[in-house]
Amino acid sequence: MVASGTFGYGFDAPQVDRTVLGAIVSKGTTLRPREGNAPTRIAETPSGMLNAIGLQNPGVDFVARAYAPRWATWDVPVIVNVAGDSVDEYVAVASRLDGVAGVAGLELNISCPNVESGLQFGIDPKMAAEVTRAVRSVTELPLIVKLTPNVTDIVAVARAVEDAGADAVSAINTYVGTAIDVRRRHPILSRGSGGLSGPAIKPLALHAVWQVAGEVHIPVIGVGGIMTPDDALEFLLAGAAAVQLGTVNYVRPQAATEIHHGIGAYLVEHDLPDLRALPIRPAGVLSHV
Amino acid sequence: MTTALERISPSPSGGGQRGGAVVVERSVPMAGAVELVVHHPPSAVAAAPGQFFQLAVSAPHTILRRPYSAAWTDPASGRVGFIFNVVGAGSSWLSGLDEGDELDLLGPLGQGFDLEGDRPAICVAGGLGVAVFPGVVRALIARGRSVVVLEGARIATQLLPASRFPGADVRVATDDGSAGHSGSVVELFAKYFPPPSGEGRVGAVDILTCGPTPMLTALIDAALRQEISLSSIQVALETPMGCGIGTCLGCAAPRAGAGYFLTCQDGPCVRADRIAWDLMTDAFHG
Repeated sequence: MVASGTFGYGFDAPQVDRTVLGAIVSKGTTLRPREGNAPTRIAETPSGMLNAIGLQNPGVDFVARAYAPRWATWDVPVIVNVAGDSVDEYVAVASRLDGVAGVAGLELNISCPNVESGLQFGIDPKMAAEVTRAVRSVTELPLIVKLTPNVTDIVAVARAVEDAGADAVSAINTYVGTAIDVRRRHPILSRGSGGLSGPAIKPLALHAVWQVAGEVHIPVIGVGGIMTPDDALEFLLAGAAAVQLGTVNYVRPQAATEIHHGIGAYLVEHDLPDLRALPIRPAGVLSHV
Repeated sequence: MTTALERISPSPSGGGQRGGAVVVERSVPMAGAVELVVHHPPSAVAAAPGQFFQLAVSAPHTILRRPYSAAWTDPASGRVGFIFNVVGAGSSWLSGLDEGDELDLLGPLGQGFDLEGDRPAICVAGGLGVAVFPGVVRALIARGRSVVVLEGARIATQLLPASRFPGADVRVATDDGSAGHSGSVVELFAKYFPPPSGEGRVGAVDILTCGPTPMLTALIDAALRQEISLSSIQVALETPMGCGIGTCLGCAAPRAGAGYFLTCQDGPCVRADRIAWDLMTDAFHG
């Protein structure tokens, strides 16, 4: 899969062979259009990058009217990443997308670090469960909840959203980080902080997946700093049922194709029937690292 | 998005092609800068003046591609030139490439300059902003247009030689007075192109510019004082950039009116009246 925010709405990367993708996850989509944050929005950091885009998007109505009909003609499922400031907003966006041809599923973004209120749902198991349950009640679509790593206990949040009806979780969204321009003596990003992605966070993301996959019985989608087939295999071995590629899409637009073929070659080389044979441990074994 | 700008040139946008180019020449065109010439016929043919490429770098701990405008292209030989200052890990790595090395480039990307018309063209370049102009000036001259290049640098050795602009009237300014006008290129512009006496001159010239944001804002002020319409000024913008193809939304720049446009898709060459200049800060000069 390609991760939310790194592939737009699927229209800007003609070089990617969409047939190798399990799904495209759209840019975070809110009820009303949003202009996003003031520049500067991105900064390169060691083996990674910070972003504070601020959920720039055209609003769910435009997405449903203008984009979904085009997705309906594609041979790859498109999952819409849903963001909001309140339970009501998440519910309104999910309701608008339910039953829309071309929308294959929803990924609840309760973990965006770059808006005033998106993160609060993801850091509290009770609120995470509340928004998940509310959205669950208004849609038949497959429902993925994207977890934030900026918490003390990610497993507690994962369990809470599983109990509230999530069909899967993605782990993880970005880590909150800061970079400062020493010449200007000012944070590089206009918001001061942003979300850290890229290889810099891969071991952290992998640990989160290892923890969560050992504790929940719904599929875990691994995401965080995957650049190569071996990176993806690490997540699959750690218990992820699928992986998302994010920052690498900016660097090597053909990465999804390369990684897809690399995983296939690994399965053949090791005489494994499919991805389900990969996890080191069975799901939900309640083991701890 | 519904917020796309009206684009100023007909050059194709989005996606671009990715390819392995081979470095065929490396030189130092001016102090602190390196010029890499690569052989990649598809890019040499496809790129319009002012468009950019995303160059992959393999420097330790870096991740993003580096966005550089093509300095010039030569479809006949399949060559593309890039001129850049060596300022950080990425440009240092690129500057270490030599003849025969491969370079992974993505592009051409974005919108180039609109070169149509028959009015005299004034190219105003500050510092490394001059890097985009060899190809632009060549294309303007080929269209039979009269071209003046106003080039500013801190010191004489940092000026791209006038020989790189055959057919153009090249005038220079240096901060230390070591060549040409002693002072800024915007002062040189005001000197060369004084305010009108009597009749206005809206529409008399086309101005194409590239340089640090403070220079650009000073030029805009000077142009307004001289009754030059902002719509006759085209700016090649430089912003921090992630993907270069419109997906990361990281290269937003403030749009006149409200909101933002994307430098990678709606630019980098943008008409000055499309930019909210009061919101442009030095931070844009990456």
